[in-house]
Amino acid sequence: MRAARLSGGAAALTFLSVSITAAQPLPVKAPSVQQDRFDLSARSETYVALFRRALQPGPAGSLVDTSTALPLSQYVFLGAKDLDTAWRKNSVDLELAAWARVWPISNVAEQPLDGDVQTAFVNYRHDSMLARFGRQQFVGGAARFARFDGVLLGAELGAGFSAQAYAGLTVLPRWNARPGYHHLGSDADSLLRDAQAFQQPQRGGYWLGGGRLSYSSHAFSASGSFHEQREHGDLAHRNLGLDGRANVSSALLFSGSAVLDADSGRLADSRLWADVTPFEALGLSLEYVHTHPALWLSRQSVLSVFSTDRFDELGGTASVRALGPVSLEGASFLTLYDDNRPGGRVEGTVRLRADARTLLRLTYVRLLAPSNGYHSLRSSLSRALFGRTSASLEAYAYLYDHAVLGYATSSVYSGTLSYAPTAALSVLWGASLSRSPYAALDAQTLLRVAYEFGYSNRGVFR
Amino acid sequence: MKQRRRASWLSYVLGVAVCLSAFVAACGEQATPRFPHRLHLVELACGKPGGPSCLTCNSCHAVSQQERQYKLPNVGMCQRCHRPSETRALSALATVPPRVSGEISINHDQHLAMPGIQGQCVPCHSGVVREGESTLPPMSKCLTCHEHERQWQNAECTPCHDDRALRRTKPRSFLQHDAAFMRRHGELGTLDKSLCQSCHTQADCQSCHDVTQDLTAELRKPEAFDGAFVHRGDFITRHAIEAEASPTRCATCHAPETCDACHVERGVSANRRGAANPHPPGWVGNVLGSRSSHGTEARRDILACASCHEQGPATNCIRCHQVGGYGGNPHPRGWQSARSPNAEMCRYCHG
Repeated sequence: MRAARLSGGAAALTFLSVSITAAQPLPVKAPSVQQDRFDLSARSETYVALFRRALQPGPAGSLVDTSTALPLSQYVFLGAKDLDTAWRKNSVDLELAAWARVWPISNVAEQPLDGDVQTAFVNYRHDSMLARFGRQQFVGGAARFARFDGVLLGAELGAGFSAQAYAGLTVLPRWNARPGYHHLGSDADSLLRDAQAFQQPQRGGYWLGGGRLSYSSHAFSASGSFHEQREHGDLAHRNLGLDGRANVSSALLFSGSAVLDADSGRLADSRLWADVTPFEALGLSLEYVHTHPALWLSRQSVLSVFSTDRFDELGGTASVRALGPVSLEGASFLTLYDDNRPGGRVEGTVRLRADARTLLRLTYVRLLAPSNGYHSLRSSLSRALFGRTSASLEAYAYLYDHAVLGYATSSVYSGTLSYAPTAALSVLWGASLSRSPYAALDAQTLLRVAYEFGYSNRGVFR
Repeated sequence: MKQRRRASWLSYVLGVAVCLSAFVAACGEQATPRFPHRLHLVELACGKPGGPSCLTCNSCHAVSQQERQYKLPNVGMCQRCHRPSETRALSALATVPPRVSGEISINHDQHLAMPGIQGQCVPCHSGVVREGESTLPPMSKCLTCHEHERQWQNAECTPCHDDRALRRTKPRSFLQHDAAFMRRHGELGTLDKSLCQSCHTQADCQSCHDVTQDLTAELRKPEAFDGAFVHRGDFITRHAIEAEASPTRCATCHAPETCDACHVERGVSANRRGAANPHPPGWVGNVLGSRSSHGTEARRDILACASCHEQGPATNCIRCHQVGGYGGNPHPRGWQSARSPNAEMCRYCHG
């Protein structure tokens, strides 16, 4: 499977480099009547990081042996939109995204060469029908966020109704690829009585499927959805979802969503919120959330039978943009657990647009969790310096209610300097210094080179 | 401890002050003055004998010219009234408004000839006479006349927007991604999928949600400090607090077992040979006089337990919590399942 991932990434790289080289000199011109009108886009991001690390910290942050790491990561994206087929105009879209990483030195824990295909699909549209094949994702409703290699079919049914159905093999997380790591714990784990009791993951047993029926009009939108996911061929999740929104007026919007775990017949997660905009410059939002953590575990988890406790969260956000260059944002949420221990989060942000080139931001956060909490202060400054050069500086400070590994505070300082010699090319250098319970002094630096290419032959007008 | 806290905060404040000072000093050239449109259009004493002629927008701007450089006046235009030595006045010419959305294709001649506009520039470019507003109209101004419903549905931004600039274009006057947005962007994406796809590809979702990559969104976009990213700052120290505050939030992207996969790798897991037990003494009530607290914690956040103890049939929890076991029935009050007792998972205990 790893070989397949890497070959996909290599193919993407090759395709990208060819497409960039071939397409760059193309002029933008108005298309003729018969010409295929399409958009092409491509993006390449290269990251080189440099830092020292200690994979096994000593007690209370004491100094331990460190090693230098220099990982190099490459991301590529390629997209095409509204390509013609022989029998249909503007019917095909393509998307391909992949990453690859190498560790030239100090590869202690990671694979020396790694990579993955993030998305790779072909989208075909025919009148009101849609079919998508390949590695893709389906988000929202009962699925929440599902990645799979498979097929999605969709149709506009008329009168505001639409339907979608999907099925495929689950894109597995990385734990199954870690040598000697079967499910949790290693073979050497003393807690394991019988390592052979673990089933080796077989991809054929990991599949998912589902569908959604939606209705949408200007004043009202709603969708009902179903999602089933299998692990080892057995049930992992069987969810029903309901999402809705009502535009009561231009100043008042009600929305809600719910996910029902069909196996236990319980509401795994539900949210209700209202967005109020009494003035253009003032936005208010009230929100209520109800969640059962146990119902987010796979039904194949033994631990999913140990708990039915829930937590509820109530709060809201506000944003004010009526103070000239200053804008304010605030959020406050109170969390209540079944055992009545409260928690909460309060956040306030001031943004100052000093001039067209300078942005200053100050954020304070207070978080209260049942066994610990923290205050944090974050100050940020960004400024366009000269020409196509810009920079940013940030500083974070944390004050913990109870010391973490003996440290009650931690701080991080970071900065970036970026230069864009052309509209398509940009180079960024970033660095950070931090002091935390895990490192007396942590210094990291990163270089990013990004190239972005876009081409459209749809024509322009003046 | 208090002294150390005070010293740390002091160092933070000093650090911020030094950084800000250095930054402002390094780039502290005088901000380019904003061109005084209002002064020239409204407040200038003009039209009298011996005085300057009254100005209109067309006096300086040739908006029907296609290329951008012809839309702005040259220095010779200003020097008809201003002496070449008036550098401050002439420097205002450098105030070219930033094209935050890239170049916009618009037929000015066609628009100015419309009966509703009647050759007036200010209704759209109201910022030329209002302090604090951009001289370029926001997109919401365009949408007051042009609904563009079909283009909106089909996510067609060209040819009004220059395709090359779209990737860096952020909506300023609509679709604000404010403080509430990140909390519910998943739900919004469900109901407005085509709207999201106007700007975002599936790969954009993966840049945050793909947990197989080592580079988080914060590392990939370190300059985007206005983005509401989750793993900002010293996340490694506070991640346990964040997970406890909102037990299901991590599960949006991370499977519970990935916690331990990382902990083992970093040598901070009890599942690593020789590691210390992370639980306090008496955690399971095995110390004389202690009160078992693990049940309370497990009921509150079973996801946290699963991050280490999710081991299928080898889960040490069911050594005690099984039929006839010391820990008794693990199913809490109200627990139910539609599955048959013959299901493999049930047979761990009931087989």
